[in-house]
Amino acid sequence: MSIESYNGGAVMAMAGKECLAVVCDKRLGARLTTIGMNHSKIYEINPYLYVCLPGLATDALTVYQRLRFRVNMYELKESRKISPQVLCSMLSNLLYEHRFGNYFIGGVVAGLDPATGKTYLYAMDCLGAITIGTEGFVTGGHCEEQLYGTCEALYRPDLGPEELLEVASQAFLSACDRDAGSGWGAFVYIVTKNKVELKSLKARMD
Amino acid sequence: MSNSYPVNTGSSVIGLCFDDGVVIAADTLVSYGKMARFFDCSRLYKVNQTTIAGCGGDYADYQFLHNLIEQKQIDREANEQGVDLSPRALHSWLTRVQYNRRSKFEPLWTSWVVGGIDEGKPFLGFVDKLGTAYKDSIIATGFGTYMAVPVMRKFYDDKNGRITRDEAIGLMKKCIGLLFARDCSAHNMYEIAVVDANGAEILGPLRATHDWSNVKEHRTS
Amino acid sequence: MFKEMQSLANAQMTDASPHKVAGFYPYADNGGTLAAIAGDGFVVIGGDTRLTTGYQIYSREASKLTKLTDKTIIGSCGCWCDSLTFTKGLHIRLQYYLYENNKPISTNATAQLVSNMLYQKRFFPYYVSTIVAGLDADNQGAVYSYDPVGSTERHRYRAQGTAGSLIQPFLDCVLGRGNQTAPEPEKLTKEQAMIYLKDAFMSAAEREIGCGDFLQIMIVTPQGVEEERFKLRKD
Repeated sequence: MSIESYNGGAVMAMAGKECLAVVCDKRLGARLTTIGMNHSKIYEINPYLYVCLPGLATDALTVYQRLRFRVNMYELKESRKISPQVLCSMLSNLLYEHRFGNYFIGGVVAGLDPATGKTYLYAMDCLGAITIGTEGFVTGGHCEEQLYGTCEALYRPDLGPEELLEVASQAFLSACDRDAGSGWGAFVYIVTKNKVELKSLKARMD
Repeated sequence: MSNSYPVNTGSSVIGLCFDDGVVIAADTLVSYGKMARFFDCSRLYKVNQTTIAGCGGDYADYQFLHNLIEQKQIDREANEQGVDLSPRALHSWLTRVQYNRRSKFEPLWTSWVVGGIDEGKPFLGFVDKLGTAYKDSIIATGFGTYMAVPVMRKFYDDKNGRITRDEAIGLMKKCIGLLFARDCSAHNMYEIAVVDANGAEILGPLRATHDWSNVKEHRTS
Repeated sequence: MFKEMQSLANAQMTDASPHKVAGFYPYADNGGTLAAIAGDGFVVIGGDTRLTTGYQIYSREASKLTKLTDKTIIGSCGCWCDSLTFTKGLHIRLQYYLYENNKPISTNATAQLVSNMLYQKRFFPYYVSTIVAGLDADNQGAVYSYDPVGSTERHRYRAQGTAGSLIQPFLDCVLGRGNQTAPEPEKLTKEQAMIYLKDAFMSAAEREIGCGDFLQIMIVTPQGVEEERFKLRKD
């Protein structure tokens, strides 16, 4: 078992019409043992911008703290909020600085522009290679393959917030249920122009 | 378990179905590692008037199988006059021999292209050292999968799969020329085996020219 | 076990070889994806027709499905030389069954036979993913899946092979309906099952390079076996 899958866990972000779903599972494992059942992999940068760090949990915490520091410095220096594009570059750069001796995490950045309603989705590997989520969803973590299968089949463009919650949750839970390393429920952030809702999903606990 | 590696080896074999027959081509070089060692070894084999075969990989293993196939054909001529070894039968037989030897961990390190006329229709099949087998209208082994298949596939599609005997032979010559230019273990002396309703024959040995215009035609940069 | 064999094979890379070749390894991964859905009075099984080795496509038209009887289909993929040998061996066993019992073998008996035949090679396995799909004695659809050494289970639906991990959770969602409170929809029809199968393979071909070219579907009903081909992306 590789170090990337030591803790397990899965994340996903899906875009709808002027709304966004950011999803992660709740499991924290140590190889095959589950040691945490309420472990979020989603970190809020601001109410319209989220970063998900699946992979080795200890690295995820470190990377989040270092990223938070850089975001704070950026916002102090520039006197403005960080945008999804900039955050994505920032995380990518942070990861690539450790090109040799890397952090064992992936990265998903999901943001919504509250003025226009435009959604921004990015995913990257442990070295910071960015893929832009033009298909409407990005995935990461231990059951990435399963997530690609369900998202590709269930996703439709321009969903409203209620439908998006339904589709994203179904895609995510179905994928997690076929992976021993992920699951034990899920957190879903539904982000719209004027509201953020955090839902906690119940799922099978095995 | 011992000697599970090739020693003297032949390079690519390429094959193509045309309207009413099949062509298979291969050069005549057998190499010892990177050394060009034997220049005039035929790797194509006319089994009978309906069946031809070409072989890449270890030349000793090819000769061993060649002898077995030859004996099969002789037995047929002696005992079942007029019932020739069909390409489909030979292809199937080769899959079993290759698979049984790989299961004994004593592989015959070869890859085969078998062609011919089976029940009036062109037949072209592939078998490798594991017994992996498939049938297709275009087949190449070794370096030919990278160099020759795209050229043959394009030609095939441009002609909507309708190719004459002469066009097929011309295409083989072109592909051998490409392989000679780019595959360091290929050679300019080669043979072409053709089979159609009128019977099978092996053309050659022929010579590929040192003509790079042919190569440039297929370059994208 | 496979790792041991691989290292054994690599250890044979000797000075005597004039080539830089890794030693002999008796298995190959030739890809392929299978999925089957059972219903009341029918079963559908689909397999892609792409045959690969690494990033190279051997053939775009290699069928992974074999009709065994008027009520039973087998799909096999993975190490293609093992698939060929296994299905060939199975055909012979079924002929013996026919001659000895003077009737075609039932789907359930085929399912058990396949498991036994796989387990017979427990210590040098056929490296294949297998699905047996057919109608049982009550004309109900039955899907059996196997691992390379014959572990088996009967399912309502199942996906296997390179894109199995992409298709299975989708089928869980639309057919298993886990994590859903909405009432069970009306009985699954053959037509709906076909749509799910095509959707599943189209989605899988989008993301998995080992899956593509064509989807070959066999539909088994008490009336017999029908076949359909469906285009998938070729890149």
